[in-house]
Amino acid sequence: MPPAILLKLRKFLKPDGDKNVIRIRRRRKLLGAFWTNLPLLIIALLAVGYLWMIAIPLPMLGQRTYIDENALQPGQVHTYWDWGDVHRADRYLEALEQLRDRNASSFEIADYIALEFRRAGLSADVQGFTLTSASKSRSGANAYAILSSPRASGTEAMVISASWLSRTGEGDGTLNLRGVSTVLSLAWFLKGYSLWAKDLIFVVTDGYLDGMQAWITAYHGVSQRNLQAEPLSLTSGVIWTALNVDYPGHSFSHVGVFFEGLDGRLPNQDLLNSFQRISTYTGGVPVLAYDHKDDWDGLNFPEWAPDAIKNNHQVKEYAHRARNVVRHVGYQARGRASGVHGLLHQFRIDAITLFAVPATGPHGFHAIGRVIESTLRTMNNLLERLHASFFFFLLVRPTTFMKIGSYLPSAILIGVALLFSGLREWVNAGWVLIADEAPAKSEKSGEPVPRGKWARRRRPVIRAIAIMAATHALGAIVFYLLSSAWYLNDATFAPLLAFSLPALLPLSAMLLPSEAPDHRAPLAIVLKSLNLCLTSTVISILSVLNFSLAAVMALVVGVPLYSASSSTSTRTRLLRYAAHDFLAFGWIVLLRGEVVQAVTNWELLGVWFAPFVCIVYAPLVLQSALVCILPSDSETTR
Amino acid sequence: MDFTVTFPALVAGRLVLAFTPLTQYLRDDHLLSSPLTSYARLQEGVYLFKHGIDPYSGSTFRHSPLLLSLFSTIAPLNEITAPLLWTASDALAAWSLVHIWRARQNSTSTSRDSLIVALYLLNPYTFLPSLGLSTSSFENALCLLSLMLACRKQASAAILTFAILVQLSLSSILLLLPLLLLLISNPTSQLASPHFLKADVWRILPLAGRFAAYSLLLSGAATLVCGNFSWLGNTWGASLTLPDLTPNPGLWWYFFTEMFDHFRAFFLMVFSVHLLIYVVPFCIKFQHDSLYACFLLLGVLSIFKAYPTLSDPGLFLSMLSLFPETFPYLHHPIVTALLHLHAALLLPLFHYLWLTQGTGNANFFYASTLVFGMANGSALLDSIWAGMRLALGEVQEGYEVMQE
Repeated sequence: MPPAILLKLRKFLKPDGDKNVIRIRRRRKLLGAFWTNLPLLIIALLAVGYLWMIAIPLPMLGQRTYIDENALQPGQVHTYWDWGDVHRADRYLEALEQLRDRNASSFEIADYIALEFRRAGLSADVQGFTLTSASKSRSGANAYAILSSPRASGTEAMVISASWLSRTGEGDGTLNLRGVSTVLSLAWFLKGYSLWAKDLIFVVTDGYLDGMQAWITAYHGVSQRNLQAEPLSLTSGVIWTALNVDYPGHSFSHVGVFFEGLDGRLPNQDLLNSFQRISTYTGGVPVLAYDHKDDWDGLNFPEWAPDAIKNNHQVKEYAHRARNVVRHVGYQARGRASGVHGLLHQFRIDAITLFAVPATGPHGFHAIGRVIESTLRTMNNLLERLHASFFFFLLVRPTTFMKIGSYLPSAILIGVALLFSGLREWVNAGWVLIADEAPAKSEKSGEPVPRGKWARRRRPVIRAIAIMAATHALGAIVFYLLSSAWYLNDATFAPLLAFSLPALLPLSAMLLPSEAPDHRAPLAIVLKSLNLCLTSTVISILSVLNFSLAAVMALVVGVPLYSASSSTSTRTRLLRYAAHDFLAFGWIVLLRGEVVQAVTNWELLGVWFAPFVCIVYAPLVLQSALVCILPSDSETTR
Repeated sequence: MDFTVTFPALVAGRLVLAFTPLTQYLRDDHLLSSPLTSYARLQEGVYLFKHGIDPYSGSTFRHSPLLLSLFSTIAPLNEITAPLLWTASDALAAWSLVHIWRARQNSTSTSRDSLIVALYLLNPYTFLPSLGLSTSSFENALCLLSLMLACRKQASAAILTFAILVQLSLSSILLLLPLLLLLISNPTSQLASPHFLKADVWRILPLAGRFAAYSLLLSGAATLVCGNFSWLGNTWGASLTLPDLTPNPGLWWYFFTEMFDHFRAFFLMVFSVHLLIYVVPFCIKFQHDSLYACFLLLGVLSIFKAYPTLSDPGLFLSMLSLFPETFPYLHHPIVTALLHLHAALLLPLFHYLWLTQGTGNANFFYASTLVFGMANGSALLDSIWAGMRLALGEVQEGYEVMQE
């Protein structure tokens, strides 16, 4: 006789009775429990997703950065850049300042730079280009030079670039004269060494982003409709890595790394990490993420916050990390490049911008030259493309990062919550409770409990899909309007007109008659179900491509889409519709500057943010606005 | 809408698309054409053949010698003829699908004709490979044509078409048994009333003999075309020995890139034999409706065959429209649809991350092929369930159907 507990266990696992009956009972119980707890589960998933997003900058999370590719060997070389090279950079700076002072044209500057490259003994050339956008047209010239590798066949190359305008204020006119001087002096200096295993390409581009776009597309033979760029007379091999030097001030205290590229592309983390090690230990220059200095003033704590919080180390650390994450999301979600390097990622080039954060001291040409020399030596060691380290990461501090697995679930969980609630609506749409004549009184509370028979009903799927397709088509029309010269030139009426189209047209849905929900589910429920499923798919898929955009989208649409529902009162319906519609298209009126910027980025650089917002995001929210305004069924359905 | 209007309109629309420059971008897509069906490889083979070099002496050309002889003689391939030929093959496939439906309904014209044509011609899984000039479109057309002829009881034509199909793609041989059963039974829907096969099973033997004869004849012709037997290893052999590991949406390639060489032969055998085990159970279980068995086997092929393209699941999904009587009994159509939506977006995305942008790796794409496999598996399992559940009809309240 086995012990009683075993018997009990066996009875629990293998109860007596008909096997199938037990299975049916067990399945019903499970499904019943799942169904009754589903709303709770959805809310829990949403809450965990949002909390996870808030938790990303927590000081206890994240891990130290490390070098993954053994070939890199950062900081293991003696550097030869000395005061003579610094002096040459100073002379170049004087010459460039003269050019600036006499307001020299792009072509004069490019000719001068190309001449100096030639004097250094390199083959150099000037590339002219003309950009035409809906609002204006602009010409410019890039200068570039190629130092052929003395030790290899020139199938691979590294790029050292500087743009004429600094990234300060996103190219607001601050000149990058010292960056250009550094590149010119480096050209002389690097020519003197025979250890290069890859071609070195020196590029000084005109303007902020446009010059590099002209140069890099011409280098890869890509033609662009609104960009007439001269073909390059000198070419080299495949570009693996690139450093962009941005040194706008007189001196600098820190070097900031900028790494976000177009459409949220990131370079391999090994490049950032090697540069960080080299700058800290070879150059003696501390490295920042972006231009966020470590002082506590930059955190902008409100005045009224108690000192205990302001001075708490953990809170400060959280605030620092949050600041970096928000900056990163700002670039990545909008698909913007945080510097000129960002244009190179689309051609599979790992590139970063070294930004010399302006300060009164203590560093200058000497430090930046040594750091770049050593970083180039490290990149020179590569035997294959950078691949070992991370391509998907969140750099929360200069030496701390988060792996994809530690931040991705936040957006995915919200996506899953939307998926579950979409599936719940789908089941709701398929069933209707046909009530008995007299509702029975519940024994305990005495309230009437709806009783009746559950019956299947048809779901108007085709109609819902047609409506969804129509909203996406409407989004495409809005995108066409926004990218026309008409919107770009007229700042007052055009936004209102462009907004009124998607705001008023869907109101026609109010005219649809309310139907008896016994045989066919109300359109609103089916539309909501499909809308939630599609949104969830978009969020999950997008999170791998551009996490920031997916996270922002999940953050913005999660609760509104989940809670959208129709109502019996026309006023409530209209109010809900207005709120959702404003969430979908309100930015046309409120954020005109952002819209113009996004459209320009689409036209010149091919950034997908503007079309994505118009054709994917806004229509999805518009569908939920339609859910709010479509007639609801008057009878109680679950 | 009237079939005589919609069919030409849809075909014309497809023809216009086929002549757009868009097709250039689709030709070398790994999802749309496998090494066995790629247009570029076909052109290469035809070029070598015309210049007197045996195209099978290398390892790039793996198309059947029948295609080689066709395209090097009567139908030269160029930018004008190719879109026409591929559109014609799609039109033939859609036309066959409609006639299978009509045979199944035992009527000459129904209101669903237009819908069925649209579901084939507008299915992105079928029209994208066709725009990319993948020869898998021909395989789909031949498969539907032979099923249609079998439904119409034109035994010789059906078996000859099927023999040509097997020449192009060896794995289609799985359909032989249900196709022969279809020839001796009724194409109309019998799912609601299962019964034992009424005809004498042994009647398929002479038909099988005829298939063997046609196949021998075609193989002989193929051997004559190339002058030796090297085509055998490069065409049929390829789907058994998997010499080319170019990524595709199927489940074989990644498995065999990871495989140690000494296990390779064993697992090739396992993967190939695994396909065979479905044939007899499906034919027995659905002996009352062999067309349904063919449909299910196409679903199995779309998941597990060696070099699938999107055309294969596309054919399966488009054929789903032939069996509307099963729709009310599908367990989880929305889950299947969502899986397909996810897979259809993930496949090109992860392919891009791995091979264009370089930030992902092969595991990414493999993961998306697994999602795709799950989507197809979910569609297949649900179709099997619905096909069998249909026979029980509506159950009364208080009763439940269980699978033991």
